[in-house]
This record gives sequence, C-alpha cells and structure tokens, in this order.
Amino acid sequence: MSLEFSFYPGCAGKQVQKEAKSAAHAVARELGITLHPMPRASCCGAVSLREAKLAFSLAVAARILSEAEAAGRNICTICNTCLQTLSHANYRFKHEPDVLEKINGVLKKAGVRPYGATIKVQHLLWVVMDQVDQKVLKSKITRPLKGLKVAPFYGCHNLRPSEIYESKAGDEADHLDRLITVLGGSPVSYGGARKCCGFHVMLSDPREMRSMVATNCLDAKDNGAELMISPCTLCDMSLNAYQMPAEKVVGKKIGLPEMNFAQLLGASMGLDAGELGLERLHVDPRPVLKSKGL
Amino acid sequence: MAEKTYTFRVQRNKVTGDGKVESRWQDYKLSAEPTTTVLICLEQIKGHQDGTLTYRMSCRSAICGSCAMKISGRTRLACKTHVEKVADANGVIHVSPMTNQPILKDMVVDIRPFYKHVAKIKPYLQEGPETDTNVGRSSYDQVNHVTQCIMCGSCYSDCTMAEVSDKFVGPAALAKAFRFVSDPREGRKTARLRELSEEHQMWSCCRCAQCVETCPKDVKPMEAIVKLRARGMQKGYVDGPGPKHALAFHGDIQKTGDLNEFTLMQRTIGIVGTLGELGMAIHLMKKGKVPSPFPHKIDGVEELGNIFRILEENPLDVETKAKEVAPE
Repeated sequence: MSLEFSFYPGCAGKQVQKEAKSAAHAVARELGITLHPMPRASCCGAVSLREAKLAFSLAVAARILSEAEAAGRNICTICNTCLQTLSHANYRFKHEPDVLEKINGVLKKAGVRPYGATIKVQHLLWVVMDQVDQKVLKSKITRPLKGLKVAPFYGCHNLRPSEIYESKAGDEADHLDRLITVLGGSPVSYGGARKCCGFHVMLSDPREMRSMVATNCLDAKDNGAELMISPCTLCDMSLNAYQMPAEKVVGKKIGLPEMNFAQLLGASMGLDAGELGLERLHVDPRPVLKSKGL
Repeated sequence: MAEKTYTFRVQRNKVTGDGKVESRWQDYKLSAEPTTTVLICLEQIKGHQDGTLTYRMSCRSAICGSCAMKISGRTRLACKTHVEKVADANGVIHVSPMTNQPILKDMVVDIRPFYKHVAKIKPYLQEGPETDTNVGRSSYDQVNHVTQCIMCGSCYSDCTMAEVSDKFVGPAALAKAFRFVSDPREGRKTARLRELSEEHQMWSCCRCAQCVETCPKDVKPMEAIVKLRARGMQKGYVDGPGPKHALAFHGDIQKTGDLNEFTLMQRTIGIVGTLGELGMAIHLMKKGKVPSPFPHKIDGVEELGNIFRILEENPLDVETKAKEVAPE
C-alpha cells in the first residue's frame, strides 16, 4: 500500500501546536509515510465558516481536496476539526452530485481545477494503525511503556457524525486504544474518552470550556490514568495548555500530563525529545515518561 | 437464533432522606436472543427476578420516548436497542439512568429540567408579522428531520455542554426552535432568532455532534443548530462572541488563505475581553504558544477571493435538505 499523502496539518499544527506537527513528521519518517506539503491549501474554515458562509465553505474545501486529487494522493491531517470539516464536505460531494456540480461550476469560473470526488480524507492516527504494517510499527517501538496507564481522548471531530468518516468512527473507533496497547501501555477505560474538550467554546463559554477540561481529566485520573493522549492539536491545546486554568475553575489540582499521540509514539520509538517538542507542553509528561525509562 | 446468557449490570439508585443518591451496581443474568430488546429483558428481570427494579416504559415502539436510559455508555431507547449491539465481549450490558437530570429511583429521572428548557423556546406556532398562510412543498425540506423528535431527552442526557452547564437550553429545545423558525406559518421567526442569539442558547453548543449520534429518531439536532446560527447571522444578530468568531474566518481565508490566530481572540471577544484574558495569554506565552501576527500567504490565494466574489454575486443554495416523505 502506498503511504504517500498530501499533508494538511491545520492552523494550530502550523503555529501554537507546532510540536504535534514536528512529532508527526518524525514518526512518519520512521514508519515510511511520506507527507507531501500542500502549498496551495488554505484554512479549512473549521466549524465556523460553514455557519457564516455555507457555499463558500464547501468551495474552500473542494479547492483543498482538488489540490490533493491533482497530486493523486489522499489527504492526511493531524487536526480533528480539519478532519471533520474536510470529511463532511467530501461526504456531501460523494453523495450529492448536484452539490458537487454547483461547487465545481464556481471553482471553474474562479480558475481552480474542479474536484472529481475521488480522494479520501484520513487522520495520521488511522494511517499508523490501519495502513502501516503493524509488524513494522512494533519493530520501531524500542522503549515500550511498561504498562503505563494511558487515557485515550479521541476528540469529537475524530468520531462524529460517524457516517462521514472513511474509517471506524463513533463508538466503534478504537485506534487510540490499539495504539496504547501496541506501545506496551494499558488503555484506561473512562467516560470522558469520547466527550468534548471544549475547544470550540473556549471564547464564547470560557467557564464551561474549562469545566469540560477538568471533568474529562479528573475522570481519567480517577480511573487510574497517569497520562492522556489525543490525536488532535485542538484537544491538546484544551487538555494540556488549559488544564491549569481549568484547575482554578473547579478548585482542584489535576496534574495529568497530556500529549499528542504522535509525541508519545515518537517517545516510544526513542526519538529526540526536542524534535517531539515535549518542552512546549504546560503539564510536562517527561517525569512520567522517565519513570518508565523513556 | 440461538439464545445466549447476558449479564445486565444495572445501576440501582435510591434517594436518601437528606436528598443524596445512593448508587450500587447489581447483576442480573438472563438468557435472550441477540435481537431481543433491552426493554424486554428488563421486563423479564422485573417480572421474574426482582420486582423492585424501577424504570419508565410505555409504547414499546420507539414513539413515546419513555424508556430512554443509559445503555452501555450512551443514552438509548431500551425498546429500540438489541442486546447483542450493546453487550461487551463478556456479554455484559451496563444499564443506568439518563444523566444531566436528577435521579428519582433506579432508572427514573426527574425530566422537568429538560422540559423547562424546551418550554423556554416557546414550542408552538405564534401569530406575528411574519405569518404566512401559504405552505409550499419545499417548506418540508427543513422541518422534516426536526419534526421526528419525540422529546425522549436522550440528546440532553448525552449533551457534553449540558454536563457542565444547567443553563444551556440543550439540543432538543434548539432543534424544536429550528422547526418553528423554518415553518412558514410562524409569525415571529426573526424575533425567535434574536432570542436564540442570547446567552446559553444556540451559540453555546460546543459542536461535539454527540446529539446527532445519540438521537434515536435521526433528528440531527446539531445540524439544526448550525442552520439556526446561519439564519441568525443573516438577520444581523452578530454581536456575541459566537457569531463574531464565525465571521472572522472568511476574510482571513481570502486575504492570506490561513487563519490569523494572532488577532482572532480580539476579533471574537473584543479589546476588553482580550485584556481580561491577558493572564491566559501570558500563561500560553511561557511555552511559546503565540501565533505569528504575520500569517503565511498560500499559493493561489487570489482564487479564494474570486470564489468569494462569484458566490456573493450569485448565491448558491447548497443547504442539506431532508428527503421528501411521500405517503405510500
């Protein structure tokens, strides 16, 4: 299977959460996944553009999908919201030919290559767990987690609405649990694994957003978690960078290190902590990793 | 089909004298076919093993909404749920009451908080300046999904915002609101959108889509919320942080292609709000989490300006529409 992708890191991965992007490149290199840049790709518009300018949001998505299609590759991303936004548009293009035709009409007039609705939108986590030869993956794990209790946090936009995704989604998704097991860790079962990190109400409902962070992290901790991982740059931002502010809202210490799945995978491969950007995390995972010899 | 033995791990709840809830898990073993519903199993348990087990039920046909309860991690109608679908590898099925509402006994919750929120959005047609007496076929395009709601409260029970805020009006109430905003006969469509733009209403949905996944009647509440937001902004209700944030994207995408995260906060919550968040900004800066004020410009950015202009001049109707339901 070809492991060549058009890489779409998302706005957070390019800037505030650039450690996730750097870790993604590092693990991709080790696993023989090639992530090609997309020089023409714009911001996907996230959940907001669809509300403000629906037709424009579909055209923006079609233009991004078309760039990857012209290169003959599927898209691979590390942001759940980019994954959902592009998958949602792609699902509509594949199921509503009249919508695709209308949007392609606009692209042509604007001088953009029309989209043929032939490519898939994938998450790097799915690629690692479903497309990389699992023997190869296991052979790269030089520093196993020795039973470390790791809470998977999937993130809403990796899961729902499940019909739009081209991989296991919704309650069926098990990629993170499988990854934790492959790394030699023990996946923690807790209620928050498929709940919301609050990122998209960070500014409109700041108190509620922080309560979500606290509720999910405390739930994981109460169930024995020593570390949490997520496949999403936005969940990372909420659960890690906003964990201390969340402690103030609930009046409780949390202290649960959270990191991007690619960072933990890289650490288990023995990759350089600097390349994985571990020093950029507010709740530092290095002490708990060190305790397991990573 | 062959019968199998399932273990129903049921949460037994009792309200004590001081108003606290005492919870414990009780196992019941039962032989059932894989397609037997959870409700039938609960009735078997109540009839033959433990008459004290308490839950609500009525129609057995997924139309009254009484038997909504948490079954293996998600709120479902017990009468519509096959045991095999929710049993784990060991044949265990977890059953507990709906969440986000006070427990009365075992699986029975006080549904008043849910109904109070629904009442808030005035779930009935109102006379007013926008009343239209002509109802065309296309009117059904938008209301068909949302009129399937049976008010079972499953979406509210699984709502991740309701979990942290009892003020949030919730998915079912907002789906109901959309049903009236989309009905040509409704006289106060614009006034409704103004009210829905206030705090804890449509802009407080965190877009987790759990309600879309949970709803046993395919109402897709979050899709209705997205459409309400679009209609609210079209009517000029753009003052809150929600709409300001939504409107921040299309300008950036035309200008550079990338989102200008550096100015995004100020554009969403204003200068005063941003000053209030200064502590947070310093906290983020400590780890170098500051976006560049000079976003990178993508190749072919002028194409996005062209697309935007073409669509502003010739708007396209690309909203999702419910399938027409024709009588047989």
